[in-house]
Amino acid sequence: MRKKLMKTALVVISLTIFATTVLLAEPLFQAPVLISSAGQSADVKLVGMLAKRAQIENIVELIATEKNLDGIKTLIVVPGFSSKGLGAAGVSAADEINRVKALLAAANEQNIPVVLVHIGGNARRYGQSDQFIEEVAQYAKAMIVVEQGNEDQLFTKIASEKNIPLTLVPKIVAAGEPLKNFFK
Amino acid sequence: MRSRHFKNIIEAGILTFLLILIYSFNLYATDNIASGKQGMVATAHPLATEAGLNILKQGGNAIDAVVASAFAIGVVEPDASGVGGGGAMVIWLNDKKESVYINYYQKASEKVDKINYNSELDRHTAKAVLIPGTVDGLLTALERYGTMDRQQVMEPAIRYARDGFEIDGTLAGILLDNYQITLEDSESASIFTEEGFPRMEGDILVQENLAHTLELIAENGRDGFYGGSIAKDLVTRINNGGGVMTFADLQNYYAQIGVPVQGNYRGYDVIAAGPPQSGASVIEALHILENENLTKKGHYSESAQTLHIMAETFKRIYTDRFTFMEDPLFGEVPIRGIVSKDFALGRYHDINPYRAEPRKYSDTKPGNPFKYNRTSARTESGVKENKDYQWSDDVDDENSGSEDWSEDMFDSWGSRKKIKTKQVLKKAVKDTIIVDEDDYEEYDGHTTHMSIIDKDGNAVSLTQTLGTFFGSGIMVDGFLLNCGMSNFSSTSEVNSVAPNKQPRSSISPTIILKNDEPYMVVGSPGAGRIISTVVELIVNGIDFSYSAQAVNDAPRFYCQKFDEYLHVEGGISEGVIKSLKRKGHNIKQYGNLDLFFGGAQLILVDPRTQTYYGAADKRRGGIAEGY
Repeated sequence: MRKKLMKTALVVISLTIFATTVLLAEPLFQAPVLISSAGQSADVKLVGMLAKRAQIENIVELIATEKNLDGIKTLIVVPGFSSKGLGAAGVSAADEINRVKALLAAANEQNIPVVLVHIGGNARRYGQSDQFIEEVAQYAKAMIVVEQGNEDQLFTKIASEKNIPLTLVPKIVAAGEPLKNFFK
Repeated sequence: MRSRHFKNIIEAGILTFLLILIYSFNLYATDNIASGKQGMVATAHPLATEAGLNILKQGGNAIDAVVASAFAIGVVEPDASGVGGGGAMVIWLNDKKESVYINYYQKASEKVDKINYNSELDRHTAKAVLIPGTVDGLLTALERYGTMDRQQVMEPAIRYARDGFEIDGTLAGILLDNYQITLEDSESASIFTEEGFPRMEGDILVQENLAHTLELIAENGRDGFYGGSIAKDLVTRINNGGGVMTFADLQNYYAQIGVPVQGNYRGYDVIAAGPPQSGASVIEALHILENENLTKKGHYSESAQTLHIMAETFKRIYTDRFTFMEDPLFGEVPIRGIVSKDFALGRYHDINPYRAEPRKYSDTKPGNPFKYNRTSARTESGVKENKDYQWSDDVDDENSGSEDWSEDMFDSWGSRKKIKTKQVLKKAVKDTIIVDEDDYEEYDGHTTHMSIIDKDGNAVSLTQTLGTFFGSGIMVDGFLLNCGMSNFSSTSEVNSVAPNKQPRSSISPTIILKNDEPYMVVGSPGAGRIISTVVELIVNGIDFSYSAQAVNDAPRFYCQKFDEYLHVEGGISEGVIKSLKRKGHNIKQYGNLDLFFGGAQLILVDPRTQTYYGAADKRRGGIAEGY
């Protein structure tokens, strides 16, 4: 009985080591990446710059739809409400919410993982920005957040409830490294 | 039993007290309102407010304070105004019962006809830059009407630039939204970004070069800016970048000093910035609205009738503005007609009270203010005429160059250069669908406004700008340069570009008087929305007796000729929205307190207690402080 237990334990440990090794060898997410906005803030372009610097193959599409998911292996969504951005895109807040919902649902259906990247700090929190954060968080498999945007622990709470990794960074520029690691 | 009952009452009392305490705390925590009897300063940034307030406390007057705040705001809100831009101020000198209008808007180079400007492609290039007026405007105000010296009033601005200040949420958001512009210029990028990404809220923004520039101005006055190393750097940079600017342009730039355009609304005197600024449009709107009992109809947030009448008024005043308003030194602006109450009555009768008419806003026709241009609008105003000022209508000035007027008082009611009335009207009617560059809807508030009053009742309303946020994006010696060329019209003779001409501007700093005493000091940034916002603020104060904060907090709306939407801020009731749609308006709804509708800084005076109430706009970072 004791030997049997020992064998089972060894098998479990071996399998764990094997699985860990495999997981470590494989990147968490794969390129090509579609980067889109939720709320039309200009932050999405900054995330595009970060991805470019990290040499992650990506397409930035501010108002991406299901059609843009063809050939895409990861969807990065940058939540942040901007009236200016909505005005420039010629869409209402309601239209934007519907687009984001449809895009996320389509990605989920196609098993394309979603990464939430929030870099705008307080300027992209509360009010309508939080509505977009909540929508994206429902589907997120990982999050990178500039610390200032998490002062009220919103993202910590989401990560804990969904049991997904949350990487907090002090500055926008510091978001590049964890983003790179996701695809390494 | 009785003692238990007593205990319950005590507990309930304590609970109520705590609730009131919490409520009161929240009230003051969220409201940007202040009161005082000695002075009041309302600006878009706490440090600019502090600069002006300290000057008042040191014994300076409202003009000293506004110059201190205006230089300071160019440092702490470098995206919205500064020494590379221009503006206008309206001053009320309470002891003399005189009003003054200082126009220091940017103007075109004497060689401007040598460049081809495309507003879409060239806005963020040297081609967009006009001759900056802020330095001469502020120093002229200080020299003529202030009591302190340059070093005293510029000290806070220099300190903020040298030591740095903490970036607030408003500036952080603007840096995020506009980071691409900040990257286009290496000096600007070095200030506003870090490793290629925008600086964030809480970061310390140090502007060493700007501090040096301000020190040169403090030491040498206007020559420190319009001459010497800064002039050399400006001319070199602009010409190397494809624009035009000459040393003569800079040396000959002088702010214009004159009397404001005046009107009267329900017994209150309105003094505002004349053309090329848009105070006359504010007055035209108020004169039209005076024909309606708005108080009886109800506030526009709850009354579709009121909002409809105001929206139809806006369609008409914006159309008249687009058709007739420009730099009065370069064309005949029928300003007396525009602010005539007879003209306003005709425009009022043109409004259908039941439906949007014309249904297409762009079909709105201009009125004929020339018909009323001989009316003396001054007689309709209770504001006493400044005897030192000469009205220019009788002056033969065909041969006068604009430079010659720069040091003179000029008349913001009329023009210097005569064009035959019929020609202008014919052209205006023919060109009713003119899409002006300055009428395109920029989203942001841009620009900045401040309102100040001192213990003696002297008041200043000042609005200044770089054009759009970050102006041309070009930075020289630490300051950003304006993109004023975009405010000229490319498809219309009215407001077309010409050497030494100022473009038309929406800015409308305004002071309201009651019985020759200040009642309201008001103004706002917000591109084309400035005019409608200022009108709504005045209506909220006069027709609805709102408190300063309520005047500022009330929801806003906006419409004009070249945009088929009635833009409505959150807070207008759903019933009103439905009714407006039935009347034929296309509604575009916004959230509550949206920056699209400006960032007003205002002061209201309680005539009974002579207490000043200041209110900064929650739509934009800012604060009012008094003592």
